[in-house]
Parts: sequence; C-alpha cells; structure tokens
Amino acid sequence: MSADYLASQLFNGLASGAFYALLALGLSVIFGTLRIINFAHGAMYMLGAFATYYGAQYLHLNFFLALILAPLVVAVLGMLFEVLLLRRLQGLDPVYGLLFTFAATLVVVNLMRLLAGAMGSPYNIPDALSGATNLGFTLYPTYKLFVIVVSIIVCVLVWWFVERSLLGARIRASTENPVLVRALGIDTPRIITLTFGLGVAIAALAGVLAAPTTNVYPSMGDDIIIYTFAIVVIGGLGSITGSIVMGFALGVLQTLGAIWYPPIATTLIFIVMVIVIALRPSGLFGRPESS
Amino acid sequence: MRITRIISAVCAGIMLCAPLSAAPVAAADTGPIHIAVITDMSGVYASISGQGAVEATKMAVEDFGGKVLGRPIIVDTVDHQNSGPTAEAKAREEFDNGAELAVDLTNSATALAVAAVAKDMHKLAIVSGGGSSALTGASCNKYTYHYAYDTYALAHSEGTSVAKAGYKTWYGIVPDYAFGKSMLADFTDAIAPFGATFVHSDTMPLGTTDFSTYMLAAKNAHPQVVALLNAGADTVNSMKAAKEFGLDKQMKIVVGLFFLPQVDTDPALWAGAKVADSWYWNQTPEARKWADRYAARMNGVRPGSIQAADYSSTMQWLKAVKAVGSVDADKIVAYLDGRTFSDFYAQNAQWRARDHSVVHDMYVYDILPQSEVKERDAWYKLVDTIPASQAFRPVAQSNCTKTW
Amino acid sequence: MDRRRNVLMILIALVGLALPKLIYPIVAIDVLCFALFAVALDLLFGFAGLLSFGQAMFWGGSAYVVAILVQTFHFDGGLALVAAIVYAAILAAVVGALVVRRSGIYFAMITLAIAQIEYFVAVQLKDLTGGENGLPMDSRGTFFGAHLSNDTAFYYVAFVIIALCVWFVMRVVGSPFGTVLGAIRQNETRTIALGYRVNRFKLATFILSGTLCGLAGALFARGNRLAGLEMIDWHTSGAVVMMAILGGSGTIAGPIIGAGIYQVIEYFVSKTPIGQETDLVMGLVFACCILAFRQGIVGGVLSIPWRKTST
Repeated sequence: MSADYLASQLFNGLASGAFYALLALGLSVIFGTLRIINFAHGAMYMLGAFATYYGAQYLHLNFFLALILAPLVVAVLGMLFEVLLLRRLQGLDPVYGLLFTFAATLVVVNLMRLLAGAMGSPYNIPDALSGATNLGFTLYPTYKLFVIVVSIIVCVLVWWFVERSLLGARIRASTENPVLVRALGIDTPRIITLTFGLGVAIAALAGVLAAPTTNVYPSMGDDIIIYTFAIVVIGGLGSITGSIVMGFALGVLQTLGAIWYPPIATTLIFIVMVIVIALRPSGLFGRPESS
Repeated sequence: MRITRIISAVCAGIMLCAPLSAAPVAAADTGPIHIAVITDMSGVYASISGQGAVEATKMAVEDFGGKVLGRPIIVDTVDHQNSGPTAEAKAREEFDNGAELAVDLTNSATALAVAAVAKDMHKLAIVSGGGSSALTGASCNKYTYHYAYDTYALAHSEGTSVAKAGYKTWYGIVPDYAFGKSMLADFTDAIAPFGATFVHSDTMPLGTTDFSTYMLAAKNAHPQVVALLNAGADTVNSMKAAKEFGLDKQMKIVVGLFFLPQVDTDPALWAGAKVADSWYWNQTPEARKWADRYAARMNGVRPGSIQAADYSSTMQWLKAVKAVGSVDADKIVAYLDGRTFSDFYAQNAQWRARDHSVVHDMYVYDILPQSEVKERDAWYKLVDTIPASQAFRPVAQSNCTKTW
Repeated sequence: MDRRRNVLMILIALVGLALPKLIYPIVAIDVLCFALFAVALDLLFGFAGLLSFGQAMFWGGSAYVVAILVQTFHFDGGLALVAAIVYAAILAAVVGALVVRRSGIYFAMITLAIAQIEYFVAVQLKDLTGGENGLPMDSRGTFFGAHLSNDTAFYYVAFVIIALCVWFVMRVVGSPFGTVLGAIRQNETRTIALGYRVNRFKLATFILSGTLCGLAGALFARGNRLAGLEMIDWHTSGAVVMMAILGGSGTIAGPIIGAGIYQVIEYFVSKTPIGQETDLVMGLVFACCILAFRQGIVGGVLSIPWRKTST
C-alpha cells in the first residue's frame, strides 16, 4: 500500500466527510434553536438534489447556479413547513417534533417517488469540474476536491456566523431565554424561522453536491440521515464545532476502515457512537449539563 | 371480578364465532382460473417488471383465447412491495382464492418466499424476475421453476464471452450480500478455463453509496477488466465512480446484472458497458413482432427480458394445462419436466427435470452510445450467443436435493 | 373510567377471537403480532416516557433466531420461541444498560442507530441469515410437538400467548412498579429525589419491552414462515411507533387498536389502485395525528365525558 494511494483514500474520506459535516451541521443549527431533531433532514437533502435535477431539466439551470438557487428554494419550503406546521408543536415535548418530522419524511419521500419513480434520475458532473487534478502526488477527481472545498468554506462560514456574529448571538440568546430576548425587541419567531431555513438550506446544499455523484432518487436521504444522527450524538447534540469536526473525522475513519476491513464500513460510525455514549454520554464536544 | 368477566366474555365470543367458522370455500372446478403476477409495482424494479409484467401476462392470456378448459382466466396484479412477508402472505391468499400459477416474482427475497409457499400449498410458481440460483439449488422444490436467468447463467455467459476474447486479469467490485457472493464465485469458475483470474476483489457492505474508495483501489491494481457484480442503485453509483476515476478508458467494464429499461435513465453512463441478458427485443423478427405489440400497449416502451419471459412462461403453462386437461400442479409438473421448446423468447429451451431450471440460450450484448441508436430502446448490440448447455449450471453440478 | 377500559379490552378480546373469520387468517396473525409489538413499544413510550426508534432490533432479531433454529437446525418451534425470547432479553439488557442513562430525543436517536448495527450484522451473516434474500421456512415448525400448519389453529395458539402477555403488561402498569414509571415520565428529577433508582426501573422496563417485542417478532416470523431484513429496518421501528400513537399511547387498548387499524388499512389499501401508497397515506394520517390528535383514538374516546354517575 503506497503512500500516495493512502493519501488519495484520505481525500475520499474527506469527501464523504464533507457530506456528513454539512448534514450534521444543519441538524445542529436547527436543534440549537428549535430544540427538535429534524428527522426530515434526509428528505431535505434529497429535495436539494431533485431541485438541481429539475432545474437542469426544465430551466437549463447550470450546476453553479443550482448551488445557490436549489438551497434557497428548499429553504423557502422548509420555512413554510416551520411556520405553518412545526410551530404548532412549540412548547410540547421535543419528541413530538421528531415524530412529526418523521411523518413528514414518509410523505415527502413517497410523493417524490410518485413524481420521479423509485429508480431516480441521473445528473452529470459539470464539464468545468470533470476530469482529474494533479495534486503533486496523484491525480484526483476535480469534482471531489470541489466538494471538499465547498463544504469546508460553508462549515467555517456557518460556524463563524452562529458562534461569533451578532445575529448568531441573538439566535443563541433566543434559545436560552426567549422571553427576555423578546422583551429586548428582537423578533424571536422570525429568528427561529430563519434559523430553520438556514439548517434546511445547508442540507439541501449537501444534496446539490451529491447529485452528480449518485443517481438522484427519492430514498437517497434514508440511510445517510441515520449516520448523521450518530455523528451528531458523537459530536454532542447541538454542538456546531462537534458536528463539523466529527463529520469530517468519521468520514475519514469510515473510509480508512473500509480499506482495512470492508464489512466494517457501514457499522463503524455506530460502533464509535456506542463507545462514546458509554464513556462520555454528552458527546465529545457536548456540554455535560445538557444530559 | 375482572378475570371472571373476561373469561365469560371469551366464552361468549367463541360461541358467537362458531357459526362463522365455515372452512374457506374451495375454488370450484368451473370458476375462473387466476394467474397472479406477483411483482414490484412502484419500487426500484417497477421499470424492469411492474406494470409491463402484468401487461405481458395479460397478452399471453388474450393470445391464448382468454379461456382454458372452458374456464375464464383472470390475471391478478399483486404488489409485493419488495417485502418477503408481504409476498408470502399475498401469495398464500392468491392460491387460497383460486390462483393456480404465480409468475414474475422480481427480487430474490420475494421469489424465495413465494417458492416456499408454492411448495407448501402444491401450487405452481414460475420465477422470471428473481435471479438467485438458490431457487434451483439449495431451495429447489417440485412446484417452482426458474425461467429466465440466474446468477450462474449471467456469470457464465458474460465471463466466458469476455475471458475467451483474451482478458486475463479481473478485478471484482462485489457487494457483501448473498447476490454478490454467488456472482463472484460463478464468475471465478466461468473465467478459469481461459486462464483468467480475479487478481483481487473488494467486498463492500450493503448501503455503500460512495464507491470512490474501491474504484481507486481497482484503478491502482491495473486489471484488464473490472467487473461490477452488484445490482440496481449500487451498479449505477459504482459505474458513476468508475467513470469519474477514468476506469472506462483504461480497462473493460463488465456489469453483472443489467436490464434494458435501465439504460433509459442514463444512456451516456452505460455506453460501452458489456452485459448479459436472456433476451433482447430486436434480436429476431419474431421477438420484434411481439415487442411491437407490447409497445403499442405500453406507450411505446419496448419490453425487457423479464416481461418477455412472463409472457412466454404464462403461454407455456396455458398450453400445458390444455394438454393435461387439468390445472393440477402435480400433473402439470409431470407434463413439463423434460419437455423442450423454442419460442420468440427462449431458444433451445428445456424444462429441466433435475432441478427445475428452465434452460435456454443466453446472450452477451454491448450497450451502444446514443449516436449509434436509430430507434427507441434499441440500445443493445448482440456480441455473443452462449448455448443453453454452457450458460446454465450442468445437471452434474446441481446442488438441488431432489425430494420429488 | 376503569370500567370503560375493561369494556374496551373485552371488546378487543371478542374481536380478536373472531378475527380469523373476519379477515384473511394470515392478516389476522399479522394484526395479532403487531398488536403485541405496539403494546410492548408503548410500555416504554406511553408509560415510561422513553421513545425508542429501534424496537425492530428485537422484533427482527428474534424473527431470525426462530427462522434459523427451525429451518436450518430443525429445532422444535416451541423451543425456538423460547430461544428467541432469551435472545431478545439479553440484547435488551445489553442495549438497555447503554441507553437508559439518556432520555427524550437522545434516546430515540441512539436506539435507532444501535438497531442499524444489528441490521448490517444480519446482512453480513448471509450464510446464516440468507442476507438480502431473507430466510423462508419450509414450515412453521412444531409447537412442542403439535403441528401448526393450519393458519386458524396457529392464530389461536398465538392469541392465547399474546393475550397472556397483554394481561401481564396490564398487571405491570397497574402495579406499584407502574406508578413509579408514571412518576419518572412526569418528573424524573423528582423521582430520583424521592430515592428511587430511576435507571433500574428504566432498564427493567426496557428489558421487558424488548423481550415482548422479540416474542411478537418470533411469532410473526413463524406465522409468515420467514424472517427478512425489512423486519429490522428502521421503517419497521417507525411503523410500530405510528401504530401505538395513532391508537392512543399509554392506554394498552390504544396500541392494539392502532396496530389493527394500521394492518387492516394497509391490507385493504393494497387492493385498491393506490395500493402502493400505504406509506404516503399512513404518513399523512400520522402527521395529522401528531398535530391535532396526540392522544390517539382510544385516548380521544376515553376523554369524552360519559355517564357521569358511573364514576
């Protein structure tokens, strides 16, 4: 096993980690404000991919425009979903949020199956990003590099926005003490809606990035959402940093694990989760009091 | 006391129910004969089977005259939703309610489930959709025939065809589930006589969507052939990854399990791949004639091999019923076993008595690039015909414990 | 109130007794097994406040134990059933020890992820489980020597077993143990303060629930004569949660009715032109239920004021 082969595989790990990180980040952003776990996150990811596909099919939208527009469209749908439906569950046990978004997942995935068929549709890598790039030690597919770079940029921006910016401070404050924040003249419901939209947009962005690498099909979010749950648990529920770091780290770990012993690839993340909750129930980056 | 009340209620309940408990009425010998098309109507197999399988079966019934032994024939559509338990329960209900034959059975899990029902209820199942060679091996039984293809036949057709053309070093992309395991074993056997071997094969777990890791490893090994021995969405995703890493430019890509309707979803992706199948609509004038009639009923879509096999097997069964003068499965099995035939679907076919495999010639095709395709669905170019005797598992190697 | 619950249980028992005459017997067996599955899940959710999204690991895992023992190793079906229950109990003890320290959403996510481990292990042990092909059984096997190939006979044997289990669950939730569970559900911190070792109660409930889910799955596998991967899939875990809540969580009668309605709707919808859309239909119904009708059918019926004099 040569060093450049291992290095290429490391990049493969980062590329699959790029998706995990984006999805886990979106989930954490939503959890941070709404205190619910969005089961429909995988469905939002799928909708992002389909928006890209339909955009190309009917509006001849190119990939780079889709990268901006598809998350916006899905975010608007997500915000409508929050305002019209999810809001009615506010103040209830957060478990009902999980159950409601679970039901929403069944509805959305099956509607898409009616519309597009279970096999799904193809979407090709844009010409500008096809082919391979010379990394000095090996040739590596340009598109995968693009995915890694976009994911890192988005993760850093969102991290800065939530943890460091003024608006981010307001978001965090409206979670901690909504009454006080409202008394200060800040529109809490609107902040919640916008944050939900942000989380959904990140999931949809992951979907756009996934469209060229797999077939676009209705159940594409079904498996990845469970991994995302495990990653969020490992990183610490609600921890932005934990989601990003563990997303990338577990993507790499899973890929390297697959080289060493292929059958472990699907279970490795869950096994890590079991170890983490046994030793540190609040997750690696979580605050212990949240348990 | 609550318990006493419950017990008395239970007794009352039993008395109430007693008059209702008449045995289910056995299908009268004069009523309609049902044929159950048990298939996937809306899931991932809907395009290769689904509504097309139902239409093809109905065509066979209509062509036969709609009646046999003076009794009308009704085709029932049964959606198994790709679930073993669902297929099991619905097959039982169909057989209980007058069905004498179950056809199609796409997806091996449902095919094996229904085969077990057929065995238990002494009714006939003819599998055209599922490909597991266990149907004529470890799980073989008197009441189940395997009609269209199995993993052995696919591997031996394609393996023989490619290996004898001089491709010696192979690399396997193998899913870590039962299908992949048997495909790899069958391919290994098939290419060995030509001095070809698998230099390496990577097994990847179910649910893998990112095949980059494995494609990179395959590329690194510099084989002459990379064989994608997976199915459905896995095949699509691994093919995408193979092209992304440029494998198609350096080596031959062989696809283990593939059906014509799959090309439509992404023609550019599949151009140049090599596949094995049991039938192609444009390979003989006879096949084409039937395919055109089918297309007229299916909005112009041409049939795949499973749908053609459903027509052919239903027609064969109806002829057998007429010849025997009964729908009794035991009599029909006695009639069919060993019988040979050829029709628009199957060439040089035989209902093999030893293991209930229906053997016939198999074919290897190249998938054409869109620029060479002159009409709708004309994606295949025939490159090789493998005689039935070489394509299917020889009787001498059968691992079917014949109990009938 | 109590009287109405009893009347409801008796009505359910009566319908249960007549069921194989009313619908296709195998569907009746499915209803029965899912009823116990839903009751067992709701023991956790409705009475201890723990939402598990991974109960299919017991249901499907035990199904495989039965199928492997009966089909491959030719065990007596009754013995296989006992082995399946033991498997579920041990698995529940191990998983429970890990998860009972958490609650709420955390609990749901962790159980979901752990169930996926069993799913992938079942795929990988393809020589034993048949992998994606599932494991059909040639027959249901004997039940301590007796043959059960007749669907109706099997139904009534299963009916007796499941009725006993449901009665046992009723006794448990009506006992002091059940009272402590209720206290945990309402205010865990206060219950700890009262000196109860809350985690032990949660663990015991988790093991009981897992064992009953396993028994239900094992009976289902024998009724349908097969075990398959879809039985461990998270969609199955989700479906049983829907059944319990639709019927009325925390009422015992509710999950039974929910399971019955779910199975019967699925059965009849599958015979109509929208036959493939059961998931869509159930998703819509469940979404409405969570928004507007969280107490479920039985909860709703019981909350209607009735003859005021009787209580």
